[in-house]
Amino acid sequence: MNAKENLWRAFGELVVVWVIGLVIAEGLAAWMVASWPVLGSVEAHVTGDATTYLIWQTSAIFALVGGAIIYSAFRFRAKSMDDTAAPYYQRRSWKPFAITWLVVSIAINLANTIYPGMVGLEDLWGAQLQTEHNKNALLVDVTAQQWKWSFSYPKLGISDVSKLVVPVNQPIEFVLRTKDVIHDFWVPAWGIKKDVIPNEVRHLFITPTVVGSTATNPMIRVQCTMICGNGHPMMRAPVKVITPAQFKQWASANSL
Amino acid sequence: MATAELQAQGRGDVAEKSSFHIGMVFPMVRATLWGFIGYYAAAWITAAIMGQVLFDPAPVLFGYLGGLTGWVMGSGIWEGWIRRGFGGAEAPVLTGVDRYFRFSPDSKATATRYVVFNIISFFFAGMAAMAIRVELLTPDSTSWWMSEIHYNMTFGIHGLMMLLSVVSSVIVAGAGYYLLPLMLGVRNVVFPKLLGLSWWLVPPAVVATFMSPLVGGFQTGWWGYPPLAQNSGTGIILYGLAAATLLTSSVLGAINIIGTMVYMRARGMSLGRVPIFIWGLCAAAILLTIYAPATYTGVMMDMSDLVLGTHFYTGATGHPVGYMDQFWWLFHPEVYVFVLPAFAVWLEILSAASSRPLFGRNWAIAGLLGVVLVAAFVGVHHYFTAVSPARFPIFMTLTETVSVPTGFVYLSALGTMWGGRLRINAAVLLVLMGMINFLVGGLTGIFNADVPADLQLHNTYWVVGHFHYTMLGTVIFTWLAALYWWFPKVTGRMINEFWGKFHAWWFFIFFNCTFFPFFIMGIEGMNRRVAVYMPYLQPINDFSSISSFLLGAGFLIPLANLFFSWRNGKKAPENPWRAKTLEWHTASPTPYKVFPEGMEPVVVHRFDDYSEGSPDPVAWDKTGAGESR
Ligand code: HEM
Ligand SMILES: [Cu+2]
Ligand SMILES: [Cu+2]
Repeated sequence: MNAKENLWRAFGELVVVWVIGLVIAEGLAAWMVASWPVLGSVEAHVTGDATTYLIWQTSAIFALVGGAIIYSAFRFRAKSMDDTAAPYYQRRSWKPFAITWLVVSIAINLANTIYPGMVGLEDLWGAQLQTEHNKNALLVDVTAQQWKWSFSYPKLGISDVSKLVVPVNQPIEFVLRTKDVIHDFWVPAWGIKKDVIPNEVRHLFITPTVVGSTATNPMIRVQCTMICGNGHPMMRAPVKVITPAQFKQWASANSL
Repeated sequence: MATAELQAQGRGDVAEKSSFHIGMVFPMVRATLWGFIGYYAAAWITAAIMGQVLFDPAPVLFGYLGGLTGWVMGSGIWEGWIRRGFGGAEAPVLTGVDRYFRFSPDSKATATRYVVFNIISFFFAGMAAMAIRVELLTPDSTSWWMSEIHYNMTFGIHGLMMLLSVVSSVIVAGAGYYLLPLMLGVRNVVFPKLLGLSWWLVPPAVVATFMSPLVGGFQTGWWGYPPLAQNSGTGIILYGLAAATLLTSSVLGAINIIGTMVYMRARGMSLGRVPIFIWGLCAAAILLTIYAPATYTGVMMDMSDLVLGTHFYTGATGHPVGYMDQFWWLFHPEVYVFVLPAFAVWLEILSAASSRPLFGRNWAIAGLLGVVLVAAFVGVHHYFTAVSPARFPIFMTLTETVSVPTGFVYLSALGTMWGGRLRINAAVLLVLMGMINFLVGGLTGIFNADVPADLQLHNTYWVVGHFHYTMLGTVIFTWLAALYWWFPKVTGRMINEFWGKFHAWWFFIFFNCTFFPFFIMGIEGMNRRVAVYMPYLQPINDFSSISSFLLGAGFLIPLANLFFSWRNGKKAPENPWRAKTLEWHTASPTPYKVFPEGMEPVVVHRFDDYSEGSPDPVAWDKTGAGESR
């Protein structure tokens, strides 16, 4: 049972496995991406695009490497545990394979660092710069404490409301402070989060683009995502994204 | 002399052929008793002096130290090691069954004790996981089951125990400390007593962690982030001390691994011939030796803020991000401590099972060591949401780089299987499944390395899915594989292959059903560490919970399999898998004296040459014969 095997032929079969695997994996990826939750801000599009891009990519890598593992284990299996004859093929390395592997893995890494990595960061930083230089940007002071959020709008004379109301399509600068432990400010639909750290002031820049509220879509809610004690899971606040006209009305009704 | 002749000759085992009797557990009972006495004596005295009560921080702190000392002394370390330092007599070294129940410098006994204790820890930490999944069956606070406070304590205990008393030692200690001397062809490790001590540090830390709710528990999860650490229960003291103790125990093993590998190889065992598993252990050991002290120092500073009133991380001048920096300095490398030895087990098993040389062996070693190199520079990816954007690009790039050396392991594994003749038993099946699971775990990690994606996914169930794929899906699968593969070596019996394979499939299916949904939950906006969640997430949580109960119940199968096979499994041949590494050149079960007095192995050929007619890699020679050469 020590016959020479045609490994090129085996490789040909592996290619077939790869094609089938890629179709299945990318099909599943497409289905996952198609049912993606709401991307409700400029920033969510950046982080969401990064995520969906990586889903396409990693599904392909999974199909290629996973397919190779399953196929080799199946194709090169012994008949039984007693089939202990040594296989004909005893090479300990094969440069073309190793070098290809090395080059491809480095290339994927470099590519990923550029996109979605650095490109995404540039997008986020660009949006932030625009907000910082935008006189119309809305300033919202966010105060976290165990276990509630409160929001103030210093430019509008609104303080300490427990519900986050913002106009759609307007850049917002959130100024994050905590009174006690570390918390984390996150609105899942807005696609970005930032820790709120004692003794520090943090800034988060977001431009909501989708009108809605926690009642219509639970992804639109403020949610603490850093464990902060008993009340952590309940440390949420309702969010309402409304039209600028509605916001004006709301602001004048709520200012002092 | 060839191995076959040697094996035929019989080894003149010096072990007393004593069988177990109940008196042998005396050291364990005494250690427990002294431990409790130590705890209460120290705690009460501290409380009395400071005018505090037993569950204030200082009494708990000194109680733990007293308990740890009492336990360790009671274990036999007093007469086996310390007494001699004071001029007393050293207790005789026990070679029979006794050594399993007391402090012993025999590395095989230490490793065996690790395996047993890992199983116990895994059981209790697993029950905590089941409790978590019961709570998550409904989105509300399920107050008849447990409160949010208890929920927080439960996942903290589950996480800390799974990490530092299960995955950190299942392969490194349970398999590693056993095989380290055998694979290198020596009789024991370089510091056998330190290795013996390392196990005795584990149980008190584990007991303390599980008991922490009695003194108020801790709610921080296994991170212990300040300032929550200082204001959510005195149990955090036990968390901090347990973490430091367990890391210290790991370091004691790590020094042994490096020392034994560097100074105690058999004649002819050049580094080029050292088995890949030992290289995996070595990689883990380097990480531990360098980084563990940084982290337990950080944890101690965190405790100091609570007990001594310092302000490293808390108060008006404290800097909590400083804790994160210090904590993740080790804890990122620590994940490679878990997984590199598992990779090495894959390669060791695959090469023997497919009768092929380890493909690209130098690539694989470069991969293991390359991960060690990069590991130091990537910890920040655990708290991108807490640091200034200046740190994003560099740590994103470095983190992504890790996939290059990690990939070498897959390169080597695939090249080894390719063109081979893979005999698939339960162990090999588990290895293959572990490789598939790690692929998911590793690929989902790319999302966490990519800062834009991570800013959304961080601290959601996505991350929880990612690390369960790497730890449960990879390390625990590989642990079972290692237990099955080396079972004949340790017990002289075979496991039941049918139940081994049956459970492997069970494990694989329900593992994926439990944890794949975690990725979707994360995308759908479920944050982690929550007892209460939004109702729209209930269906997927229920699916995961029900799968997890089946997954958890399934572990009774390997438990029973290991137990019954140990008692009356089929007698194993000397070398059931036809592997060539040195551990299979000794008798099974391994005698107390690994090879006969006066004889030692000389390595004359590489171990992974399976080609037909390849020479026996080991020759036997009289001890000392090499000196004259
Ligand atoms: C038996 C099956 C297991 C189930 C069903 C399970 C389930 C869970 C769940 C639901 C959480 C809570 C996640 C959160 O809210 O953040 C969790 C946390 C965790 N699990 Fe598991 N787990 C299992 C096994 C393991 C194993 C084997 C390990 C490691 C070797 C592990 C390590 C962890 C860690 C480190 C945490 C984080 C704890 C924290 O947030 O502080 N788990 N697990
Ligand atoms: Cu919180
Ligand atoms: Cu990490």
